[in-house]
Amino acid sequence: MSPSQPVISCRNVWKLFGPRPESYLAGLDPAAGFDAIRADGYVPAVRDVSLDIARGEMLVIMGLSGSGKSTLVRCMSRLIEITGGEIDVDGRVIGALSERELIDLRRNKMGMVFQNFGLLPHRTVLDNVAFPLEMRGQDIHARRARALEVIELVGLAGREDYFPRELSGGQQQRVGIARSLAIEPDIWFLDEPFSALDPLIRREMQDEFLRLQAMLGKTIVFITHDFDEALRLADRIAIMKDGAVEQCDRPDRIVMNPATDYVAKFIEDVEKARVVHARALAQPVDGQTLTGAPVDGSKTISQLARLLVNDDRAILPVSGPDGRVIGAMDRQQALDVLLGAAQ
Amino acid sequence: MRTKLFMSAAAVALASVSMAQAEDSSDPIIIPTHNWSSQIVMSHVVGQIFESMGNSVEYVSTDSQAVYESVRLGDVTLELEVWEGAFGPAFEAALEKGGLHDAGDHDAVTREDWWYPSWTKEACPGLPAWEALNDCAAQFATPETGDKGRFLGGPVDWLKHDQERVDALGMNFVVVNAGSASALWAEVGAAERDKRPVVIFNWTPNFVEALYPGEFVEFPEYVEGCKDDPAVGPNPDMTYDCGNPANGYLKKAAWDGMEEKWPAAYATLKRISFTNPQIAEMAKLVDIDELEPEDAAAEWLETNEAVWKPWVDGGA
Amino acid sequence: MTVAATNASAPMRPQSRPRMAQFLFAAALCLAVAKLALPDGLVRPPDWLVWPFADWFNAVFSFIRDDLGLIHVTRAFADGLESVLDVTANLLYGKNRWPRLGPIPWSVIAITAAMIGYAINGWRLAAFAGLTFVWIAAMGQWQWAMETLSVIIVAAPVSVFLGLLLGTMGWKSARFRLVLNPLLNVAQSLPHFAYMIPVVVFIGVGAKAGAIVTIIFSVPPMIRMTMLGLQKVPSEVVEAGHMAGATRWQLLRHVRLPTARTELLVGVNQVIMQCLAMVVLASFIGMPGLGQKLLQLLQALKIGRSIEIGITIVLLAIMLDRCSKAWAVKQPVHLEKGTSWLMRHKLLVIWAALVAVFWALSLVFPILHEIGRRDALSLAAPLDAIMDWIIGTLDPVTQWLRWFLIVWVLIPLRDGMLWLPFSAVLVFLMAVGWAIGGKRSALVCLGYFGLIAMSGWWDRAMITVYTVTFAVFIATLIGFPLGIWGSRSKARAQAVLLVCDTLQTFPSFIYLIPVIMLFGVNDVAVVGAVVLFAAVPLVRYTIEGLRGVPEAQIEAADMSGATRRQTLWSVRLPLALPTIMVGVNQSVMFSLFMVIIAAFIGTQDLGQEMQRALSSSDVGKGLVLGLAVSFMGLMVDHLITVWANRRRRALGLS
Repeated sequence: MSPSQPVISCRNVWKLFGPRPESYLAGLDPAAGFDAIRADGYVPAVRDVSLDIARGEMLVIMGLSGSGKSTLVRCMSRLIEITGGEIDVDGRVIGALSERELIDLRRNKMGMVFQNFGLLPHRTVLDNVAFPLEMRGQDIHARRARALEVIELVGLAGREDYFPRELSGGQQQRVGIARSLAIEPDIWFLDEPFSALDPLIRREMQDEFLRLQAMLGKTIVFITHDFDEALRLADRIAIMKDGAVEQCDRPDRIVMNPATDYVAKFIEDVEKARVVHARALAQPVDGQTLTGAPVDGSKTISQLARLLVNDDRAILPVSGPDGRVIGAMDRQQALDVLLGAAQ
Repeated sequence: MRTKLFMSAAAVALASVSMAQAEDSSDPIIIPTHNWSSQIVMSHVVGQIFESMGNSVEYVSTDSQAVYESVRLGDVTLELEVWEGAFGPAFEAALEKGGLHDAGDHDAVTREDWWYPSWTKEACPGLPAWEALNDCAAQFATPETGDKGRFLGGPVDWLKHDQERVDALGMNFVVVNAGSASALWAEVGAAERDKRPVVIFNWTPNFVEALYPGEFVEFPEYVEGCKDDPAVGPNPDMTYDCGNPANGYLKKAAWDGMEEKWPAAYATLKRISFTNPQIAEMAKLVDIDELEPEDAAAEWLETNEAVWKPWVDGGA
Repeated sequence: MTVAATNASAPMRPQSRPRMAQFLFAAALCLAVAKLALPDGLVRPPDWLVWPFADWFNAVFSFIRDDLGLIHVTRAFADGLESVLDVTANLLYGKNRWPRLGPIPWSVIAITAAMIGYAINGWRLAAFAGLTFVWIAAMGQWQWAMETLSVIIVAAPVSVFLGLLLGTMGWKSARFRLVLNPLLNVAQSLPHFAYMIPVVVFIGVGAKAGAIVTIIFSVPPMIRMTMLGLQKVPSEVVEAGHMAGATRWQLLRHVRLPTARTELLVGVNQVIMQCLAMVVLASFIGMPGLGQKLLQLLQALKIGRSIEIGITIVLLAIMLDRCSKAWAVKQPVHLEKGTSWLMRHKLLVIWAALVAVFWALSLVFPILHEIGRRDALSLAAPLDAIMDWIIGTLDPVTQWLRWFLIVWVLIPLRDGMLWLPFSAVLVFLMAVGWAIGGKRSALVCLGYFGLIAMSGWWDRAMITVYTVTFAVFIATLIGFPLGIWGSRSKARAQAVLLVCDTLQTFPSFIYLIPVIMLFGVNDVAVVGAVVLFAAVPLVRYTIEGLRGVPEAQIEAADMSGATRRQTLWSVRLPLALPTIMVGVNQSVMFSLFMVIIAAFIGTQDLGQEMQRALSSSDVGKGLVLGLAVSFMGLMVDHLITVWANRRRRALGLS
């Protein structure tokens, strides 16, 4: 397996609910839309989705409720069987695994966090976190040690003998996160992990999550219906509507170039300057002569606001992570992003 | 080594069993009890006699009709009170199917018939003659029977043919069937309050005699055939024109396997025979003196050693 | 289910349902009016319509019993059960069987009960549990109560286990559920006696038969609660289990069942209550203990002492009910870190110490080991006096009432019921079905009562119908106002509900004697006994329905200036009606159970025939009669459920 191979790869994945989904799909006109399928008495939860997720990448799947995002992530972990297409995980076709192999895969490679936490009410924090380890038959001392380690990691040290009911929502989700990390998974699914929390806690948990991700560097599929959350966390965002992916790209590219009207409506209220990085506006140098100090490509336009307003160069050089110039940014274009284009 | 020792011990035990052939099995003898006191006490009396002989005994409460099926299958070992009137048919039906047999009669005789508590006589002085009862039928009227008298019979499944008798003797009575013996006693209990005349189905020996003194109605005397042959009895055209036998049998019944399994106990069972006063005494110990059946049985055994010792010793 | 119902009625135009129902009502009326002109085949079921179901059942039973040899299997099973029963019997009342340790002194059992009560719910339950056993011992009922408990202690866990097993299977397999659900419906509406006959045939009599009848009777609610609980496990919790890599068995064992804990414990609670409800009935086939003693005492007209036993049964029921309910809501609480072993197991240690102390004491003071009947207390004399006084006081009223009801109400009603041509009754029921639930319900009604007509017990069934209808009517007259009164304040509601609980757990047989003493052996007594039972669910559900009306609706009515009466009639009652109808439904079910027991007073209905079937061990006849009763219940259940669901939907409730 080469490092460049995607960790998860979806090819034309379909999930239909209805009386005889397989045979219906086989005879389905490829151009049939959502409403046409509904009219036939089937619910297309996932429609012809193709995605690749690279190692160490965080893909955020964004969509409103009913858009099929939760179903898609459950297809990736095979909590739901797909109707058509193929999903590869680590190069293996997940649909072809036997029950035993699937269980092994989940026991060793996957972790998942749920919207409503999915904690076992009759077990203590410690026993909840140790649950996946118990399932794979680890001995009690080893799993206790490991569980304490992850509990510490999510900041719940000292609460390990509490029952879920005795904890706040944010704490419960920390337990959920700790549980999903206990087996040191390579792939981490998070299904709207912070939606059930109130806004202040949500913000705190996002920071916590970014801290963990910086430390662990997992491959992540993160579901949310909150576009701001998606922009804040994602390496790439896949926007879903009616079971299909409308656009899948880096956040600033989506903001700059919405692929469909639906996506465009989403980004309307987004403060683009906080999302778009200088590097996203950088054009190839094409032999232009650039003067002066380059701006840091990893900064957002809003972070560069003062400089953009005060600088008088028409074209600004943009530097990459190593300090080398990677392109040139049109200052006017950047100011348009910052202030909104003159209509 | 140990197994060998154990096996030889078992062999010795086996040998001793086969040598003493008259030895009773150590399995418990199962004695059924029903829902009236004399039978329960009698069962405990007999059970305690068996225990004194070294047997183990258990009691199980059963329905008094369904018990014959259980005796037949060996689920219970014996039955101590087989009343001719009440259980004769069930007993004979089981006898036909096989598995149990008649283990002899008690000295006691049984009688089941129309009966009234003594205060009734004040309202209807001609009693106990049945003609007199018929003349004051109106005294026994209830709302549901209109101007006819009401006779409160036992449950329908006791098959007493009271309706046939009313028809055959042209009586001015309606038969109403109570659902249980308790219902009969409750009705008498309620009637006692305002000394209302009632006529119900009753039998002897029975604890009610001690609670409420009374008498049986005297119907035309029972003669053989009056229940089957219309010609017999006062009404030439109908059957059941007579009373019930005034001296019905009271039998013991035993499971066919009992003799082989508990030969000594079986021999004793064959010899056991209670009289009417003895049965009444047993019922009284429970119903009036408020003893528990076990205690009542123990007390009866203590005071009547002369009666039961010979049953155990073989009467010889 | 609901989908099917709406689909069935959807294509019909809205008017056609009442029109069809009206047509059927008219047809029924015509059939009744034209009775004299009708051919005999429309007045009573003709011979070709009466099928010998009883013979078929008997043939099937004797086939599986003798030819398939099932009797050996059931007997072997029963023997296994008996050896377990022997153990508890030895421990609790010293039956001479392995392990020959017992009997445990009563003081030790009482202190154990108190400790369990304390561990589950604190001091009050501890006192209640402990004192219940003190009462039993002091009243000299120890031996009988232990005989009863020795069976329940075995039967209840077996029921729970079987319920878990069958419930899990039912939850897992839709096909199994398809078989299971109708069976459960019938099982829960079949009169107890109908079960007992096959049990006597297959198992025999005695404690083991009592245990098995108890198990059969108490397992259905456990099955239902298991299915419900497993269905209600949040999908995320299950998915979490999947993602943890749990195998199917691990998922069931560690995720689904523990998460369904609350429902399962409600099931356990119902099992226990059903076991206690069977204490008296099971003694008909030889279960020893309180029930058997109760019947003996009633037989000898010892009302005071049978009430003592009744009180014991109620106390045991309330105690076990409270304990199991408290256990159901009890959630685990963590202990502080570093708690020592002794502290973690504090209660266990205290219990062990107390047991040792009391056991030792009971060796010194025999009174702590066993209280003989001679040393026991008795309330019989005052209870008898109270009963006498009540009956004496009520007697003049009841004399008149009895005359009035019999002459002017019951006899005309019964004669009327029997006069009706069976065809008119069937068409009438179809009309009711059509009016309530459309074609499907009409066919359901026809199906159930058609089968009753085919059973050959039409007249008897009509008498049962008449008794139950009248009893439920009277129960409504009593229960409904009482419920409204009781719903006015929380304290009242609690008091009334407590009385309801007590009435319901009090052994029904005890009512029979006073009722006969008041009314005599006739239908008034039967109706009286049935009403006592039928009123309880009506009161309960009226209170629950009225108190369950959302606060916002009441506030809205108050702000509109409605008086209390206006609020009651225009807001509370309409909203509570679906719940109250569930009470009516239960009331009918209770009546059907009680009317069978009232056969012990003396009736001419299905119950009386059922008794005959029991005493002649006629399995087929018993089952046919039982099913006839069961079908009546199921028909009413169907109609009321359909109606209440429609009404709820219309009101936007749930």
